[in-house]
Amino acid sequence: MTTAIQTDNLAKRFRRVNALQSLNLNVPQGAVYALVGPNGAGKTTAIKILMNIMRATSGRAQVLGIDSSRIKARQLESIGYVSENQELPEWMTTSALLAYLRPFYPTWDRNLESDLVKQFDLPLDRKLKHLSRGMKMKAALASSLAYHPKLIVLDEPFTGLDPLVRDELIHGLLDRAEESTIFVSSHDLGEIESFASHVGYLEAGQLRFSEELSSLVERFREVELTFDAPPPLPAQPPGSWMHLSTSAAVIRFIESAFHPEQTTAQIRAIFGEVRDVTFSPMSLRSIFLAMAKPARESA
Amino acid sequence: MNQIWNIFRKDVRHHRPEIAVSLALTVAFAWVEVREWDHQGMMAFGGGAFLYQLLSELIVPLLPASWMLLIVRAVHGESLVGDRQFWVTRPYDWKNLLAAKTLFVLAFVNLPLFIMDAFLLAKAGFRPSAYLSGLLWMQLLWILMLLIPTAALAAVTAGIGQMLLALFLVVLYMIAMSASSGAVPNSGFSSDVAPVYFLLVIGMALAVIFLQYSSRKATVSRWMIAGLAPVFALIMIFAPYRTLIAREFPISSNGQLPLHVAMLPSRAPAPEYAVNMGNSIPLRLPLSLSGLPSDSFVELKGVILTLTNSQGARWDSGWQGRDMLLFPSEKTANIEVRLGQEDFEHMKSSPVNIRLLLAFTLLRDKNQRQFVVPNGGFAFPDLGLCSVQTNSWSHLVPRNLVCRLPLRRPSFLLITTQTAQSTCPLPKNQTPPVSGETVWEFFHNDSEPADPGISPVKILGLSLSNTNPSGRSDPGICPGTPLTLSNPEEAGKNRLEVQLDNVSLADYQQSSAPLTTESH
Repeated sequence: MTTAIQTDNLAKRFRRVNALQSLNLNVPQGAVYALVGPNGAGKTTAIKILMNIMRATSGRAQVLGIDSSRIKARQLESIGYVSENQELPEWMTTSALLAYLRPFYPTWDRNLESDLVKQFDLPLDRKLKHLSRGMKMKAALASSLAYHPKLIVLDEPFTGLDPLVRDELIHGLLDRAEESTIFVSSHDLGEIESFASHVGYLEAGQLRFSEELSSLVERFREVELTFDAPPPLPAQPPGSWMHLSTSAAVIRFIESAFHPEQTTAQIRAIFGEVRDVTFSPMSLRSIFLAMAKPARESA
Repeated sequence: MNQIWNIFRKDVRHHRPEIAVSLALTVAFAWVEVREWDHQGMMAFGGGAFLYQLLSELIVPLLPASWMLLIVRAVHGESLVGDRQFWVTRPYDWKNLLAAKTLFVLAFVNLPLFIMDAFLLAKAGFRPSAYLSGLLWMQLLWILMLLIPTAALAAVTAGIGQMLLALFLVVLYMIAMSASSGAVPNSGFSSDVAPVYFLLVIGMALAVIFLQYSSRKATVSRWMIAGLAPVFALIMIFAPYRTLIAREFPISSNGQLPLHVAMLPSRAPAPEYAVNMGNSIPLRLPLSLSGLPSDSFVELKGVILTLTNSQGARWDSGWQGRDMLLFPSEKTANIEVRLGQEDFEHMKSSPVNIRLLLAFTLLRDKNQRQFVVPNGGFAFPDLGLCSVQTNSWSHLVPRNLVCRLPLRRPSFLLITTQTAQSTCPLPKNQTPPVSGETVWEFFHNDSEPADPGISPVKILGLSLSNTNPSGRSDPGICPGTPLTLSNPEEAGKNRLEVQLDNVSLADYQQSSAPLTTESH
């Protein structure tokens, strides 16, 4: 098995709302896959279907080689799940939570548990209800990592957390990245960029793209063309050019299929002589915004 | 097993306050119960009598309420409604989760109840080991009638607020059903439909619990529970009561029921004595009785009155339940049936034909023996441990027996005596009883092997009476009073039809006149 998560035309409909439409995902084993998208894009719905918390309207999903609708206790022994809106047993102390969960997992590692408690600086004798939001997330994550899960699923784990806690969580996760596949949903792209190996962009229930982060960053460029005189905008620019704009003698656009030679040749073919051409690499956040903008404008 | 134990221990830790309250209420119940047997409650407290009275009144509903709370809290500990609970994505095996919750209920509801019941039996003078099956039966009744339905409601609610709302709706529905059942003809008499309701509730509750624990389909489960409401209403309205009753009480043919019943003529009461109960008029139908063998008696279970007048109008009372014993010594009996004022006025305008159907259970006396009430506490055959109650505060009230019964009232027990044989001293100015007048108490109980209830010790005040309006109903039971005991057995169930044509309905209107002025 080389695929940790695979979905085929997965769809979910809530009355008149299509929360997910023909979602085709492929998360390789060992990947750190970030499913990004604006609020309401369908990320949580997709994760709930993957975790068998919710049934799909159509299509199918496989998680660790098992149909997601058949995920039961045995499969959950090797899956860790943490969600921003998960209801924890708040009456328990952190140590009671860990002690309670220990017998559920045959692979629970007491040493790893101790390491995680130290790493996250968890107060063992305090009740969860008295912990800050960040501490609760760390406690939930520690309790989901201590048994060496093959798959770690995180639904918006960084929402509302201060930067220090986010760093701690990310480090905690990255320490496990070698032995697990990590599937994380977020709209916080700054953090995702620092550790994701793959990224999928979900919008209005549809997957806009899904690929390795390195190739994504490689194919997106901010392009700035400087002319001697204001040039006319092409009537039919290439499909990979986004947000074409002009200002005096400068044309700017975003190239979503950047290749140094090909893109340069394409520019020359359309505009002829250009005084100056600048290709600037883009952050994941900029790519995300560039992708989100046309969809919102059309909506 | 490891998982079951782990969840169970977690629940015990989490619900310690509720467990403590429930156990405290169990102890309080046992304490109050024992004091009530000896009528020590009020005396023991003096100034705190009010508090004791409050406790003894509240403890009966509070104890089951505490069990319900325990179940609800345990089920909601791993709520089955919603998808945000942490446990949903943990490797819980639903069978283990259900088993852990069951273990919790058995440990903190059933076991304390069982121990308390055994203690109460021993305290009342009965050996608990001799009543093991009855004690287990009582547990089963609680499980079926309260614990499982409560667990089903808890399984489809997310919190205490939702649970209280669900309970409120259930109570509201039961009140509405109870209120509307009076409007459904025949439904009050036939008991054949009750097991159908019971089985539906238990079946649905078990199905909901299974469905929720196995797949958490809360919406489907809620609809399943809500679906019971119209089903019950439809059963109540459309159940073939008459057919069921006719099957249970076939028409007596070839003397199956050795009883001859005829309707006696009556005379209209004077206007000032004619009873009018708001919008309904009570009719009193006098019957003559004969033919009942000396070793038999009958229990009148139900009646149906049909009136037709010469103008073709018809009125039917539908089957109405009755609970009247008729012995061979009784030659007459009165049946009371009410009809609306408007129907009465309409029907009495011309001569009517009266048709009365009577449903009887024939009982044949068996195992007759004599028993003389001894002094002090004593074992009463087939009943329990009894003593003569002394009414030191009133000489006017005849003395009677107070008995402690293990688990249940007797199946079939008839206790009779002659009023003249009572050894109780006569209050001043009271005329001695007429010789030959019989008083009785009859026990007929189908609850095998135990009556439902919290306590296994049933307290029974035994006083004898008869249905003769001119008789002295309760001569009292005192040490030395000879009693005749027997264990009647059911010898058949039949209907008898009695008809009287061309009579004036007004003649049968109930009169409030004293017996001496009733006839004009």
